[in-house]
Amino acid sequence: MTSPDGNLLQGAPFQDSPYLPSRNASSYNPLHTFDLPKGTEKHYGQQYADMYFLRLAQLKEAIKRQAEEAWKDFELAGEKATMVDRVLDVRQGDLCWIIGTVYMEMALKPNVLDDIAKEHWIAAPPVRQTYMSSSGQDEMMLEDESGRLRITGESLNSHYVTGCVLAALGTEQADGCFQVIATQYADLPRQPQRWERDDSALAVLGKKNKPVTPKRGSAGKLAIVSGLEITGTDDDDLALDLLVQFLTGELGAHPEQSRSGKITRLIIAGNSLSSSSPILSREDFVNSKRDKGGKQQFGYHTSSYNASPAERLDALLTDILPSLPITLIPGASDPANVALPQQALHPALFPQSRQYANPPVKSNESREGLDSVTNPWEGDIDGWRLLGTGGQTVDDLLKYVDEVEEMDVLEMMLRWRSIAPTAPDTLWCYPFQDDDPLILRDCPHIYFAGNQSKFERRVIQGPADQKVLLLSIPKFRETKTLVVVDMETLEVETVEIGVVQPPTPE
Amino acid sequence: MADTYKEYLAANVIADGKPVTYRVLSRALKVNVNIAKQMLYDFHQKQNAKKTNTVHATYILTGKKRAPEKANGIHTHDGEDSFMHSSPYMNSMPEPEEPTEEPPTHTSIVLVREEELEKTKSEFESITSMHIYSLEPGPLENLNLLSICNQDILKDCAGEEPLDRWKTYGSIHNPYIKRRTAKFAPAPAPGASKTAPKAASKPPVTAAAKEEQAKPASRRGSMSEDNSSRQPTPQPSSSSGTLKKSGSKPNLKRDTSDIFKSFAKAKAKPKEAAKSKESTPAPIPDERMQGMSEDEGDDDEGPQIKFDAEKQAAARKLRAEKEEALRKMMEDDDDEDMPDAPPAEEKESQDSPIDEVPSAAPAETASVTVQGGRRRGRRQVTKKKTVKDEEGYLVTKEEVVWESFSEDEPETKRPKQLPAKSTAKGKKGGKQSQGNIANFFKKS
Repeated sequence: MTSPDGNLLQGAPFQDSPYLPSRNASSYNPLHTFDLPKGTEKHYGQQYADMYFLRLAQLKEAIKRQAEEAWKDFELAGEKATMVDRVLDVRQGDLCWIIGTVYMEMALKPNVLDDIAKEHWIAAPPVRQTYMSSSGQDEMMLEDESGRLRITGESLNSHYVTGCVLAALGTEQADGCFQVIATQYADLPRQPQRWERDDSALAVLGKKNKPVTPKRGSAGKLAIVSGLEITGTDDDDLALDLLVQFLTGELGAHPEQSRSGKITRLIIAGNSLSSSSPILSREDFVNSKRDKGGKQQFGYHTSSYNASPAERLDALLTDILPSLPITLIPGASDPANVALPQQALHPALFPQSRQYANPPVKSNESREGLDSVTNPWEGDIDGWRLLGTGGQTVDDLLKYVDEVEEMDVLEMMLRWRSIAPTAPDTLWCYPFQDDDPLILRDCPHIYFAGNQSKFERRVIQGPADQKVLLLSIPKFRETKTLVVVDMETLEVETVEIGVVQPPTPE
Repeated sequence: MADTYKEYLAANVIADGKPVTYRVLSRALKVNVNIAKQMLYDFHQKQNAKKTNTVHATYILTGKKRAPEKANGIHTHDGEDSFMHSSPYMNSMPEPEEPTEEPPTHTSIVLVREEELEKTKSEFESITSMHIYSLEPGPLENLNLLSICNQDILKDCAGEEPLDRWKTYGSIHNPYIKRRTAKFAPAPAPGASKTAPKAASKPPVTAAAKEEQAKPASRRGSMSEDNSSRQPTPQPSSSSGTLKKSGSKPNLKRDTSDIFKSFAKAKAKPKEAAKSKESTPAPIPDERMQGMSEDEGDDDEGPQIKFDAEKQAAARKLRAEKEEALRKMMEDDDDEDMPDAPPAEEKESQDSPIDEVPSAAPAETASVTVQGGRRRGRRQVTKKKTVKDEEGYLVTKEEVVWESFSEDEPETKRPKQLPAKSTAKGKKGGKQSQGNIANFFKKS
């Protein structure tokens, strides 16, 4: 049953373990698309309207092309569909198509005006599981620079959310509603070739020197894990220990060890710490007040800061790093800024493991070691373009829709070319002014979202033969699962680390 | 190193009743992890051949789990479930509506006690490898206790060069990783700070619970040589372990209280009394701890691993204590910030708004006449003058003016006083605002 070299259930004389090859280099070329300006360059005073304007302006061309192609021969009752530039110019009864940004008016959606008007609330509304109202009164509107138009139609149900840009074909009804027959979205943008960036960098070098032909061995594997949710207590330690031992190749016998030896990089996709905010959440605050016997403490107090989760994470990283480079993406519960794009976790959190990171002055260079990056993050690993998030974008989008899978959400985000369509409406976001990096420029080869409920994968194809591997990475704390992607074949496998706890005595 | 492993395991597992994982063993003996795994197996076989059930083992199974009857999901364990069946997670399969896609390879790595080993094995379709993870004197009730071993490794291997680990222990080598040598070298191991105090505190609260529980074996006498040479495993609640650690603990506390005192001296003196009062209660628990641990060490029954539960409880307690202490410290600090400014200055600072008192510095004196014990004359002084200009701003100017003076004191005293006053003034300027606030809080 057990393969010969996998059996370490043998006594003396001890056999030396077979030779384990060293890890290959992980070809790593991160992009800094989502880095915000530093320090005083960063302003929060701008209006969010610019983001919607930018989004519409940048996506309009692509959508127009798609829509023209799809609807140029479209006729209904002898009437040809024409494009109308502004939503307010739509004539009643005309068959036409328009391009605009969707806005969802939903009963349960948080509304900033409500927040201001009801400042005297005693209790804030609970966090919403969904924004949809049960009575189905939610309205959908299409908006551009000129105004808004209410839209209805079967094809819209549960397919679009606030912030995505689309083209809608239909006619305006007597009541002013625009009845939609069909819709079009921008679809996947251009996908770079594998090794494209690295090759072009080499080509630039090659001009000065003689042409360099890259020597690339076969790529290794990429491990992605998310939702470690380290609490700093003992309950979660064992699984984390086993994870470390698996990644460093100490666990198991030769078959496993040589397999984990093929892993050349680990990505931690968000929520490494279970709750990092030094400011208590509303519930915790109430609890703590009760515990302390009515003694109130407001806001942040240094004494209430518990460093042990961060220390544990640092120790974990330090354990893995001598053997495996790590890309660390922050998530919703990590001590980074809340607004997307979340900036890299501060090196001060990692007194030990930051020795494997770049010194701050050179932090933009890639390096084998610890790379603390932004969320979302984009970069090239082994030539493939990867795009990954900590999962907030997916979670928020799922609140808008019903009976939609995480995989569908990931796919639609790419097809809408919007990494965070619901920002800034219901997802906090930096007010970008001149350029919105959350609009998808290049189609990735692998798109993953961390902290999802279960592992899933899907391969989608674009109009120009783009192939994208979508991955939803489950929370490690709940599923104890690690996703491993073969960077040569883009095959996916999962590794589950389980502990069979003894039955509890009755 | 022929038989050192036997001695080591005998000392730690059988005598001290500690769980020993393959990692602990490999670190202790500086051998490859795979050899350590075999050593554990060897020891396990031989000991149990001599006398059954003296040593218990946990195993690591790796392989492919058999898909359960429902063909659309792989049966998984989530680690928290104490039972094998029906774990709710179907985390590893694509949706059934995509039958074209092959399900991704799913590997399971399972840590299991020897009691459940066969049952778990039967759930595997194929097992690629299998080895002993740890040995312990009796069945573990909670596998989480094993993680404590790894924390000790962190602590003990702090001094080692992490990039050379692969040579000794056989973890996978990565030649591309580089490590900066930090100018600022942080404390050797973060684990150390966490684990050391954890084991150290055997807080009095658990005393009652401890009495009830059987104590783990702690025949220290004969084994202490092996142990003192290297201690990579968790300390049991034996007397020497506690003594050693509790010995270091009060030191820590004393240090902090020293810091307190030195701060106190620098600051307001009257506070010192109160502060030392604050700091003295702290060491008391340690005192008691020692006493307790001594009678603990005596009773040694059959090997059980309960102590780890205590240890955890202790750790939890300690954590709470630490937080408490920290909070106290912070609160104290808040109080002590106030009396920063000496009272004398405060008094002074209350009156005399700045702009009305020009500080005069005598520059030169001209035409001094002495008449009947009084000196009269004119001298040139630079005065600071603050005026409100037409726009309402306060403008401070230094002006050289002549002023006449008449005094009955000898000339020599004069310059002495003036500088004294001006320095006091300077100080006052710096501290004024603080002093004022402090004063305000104090009096209210």
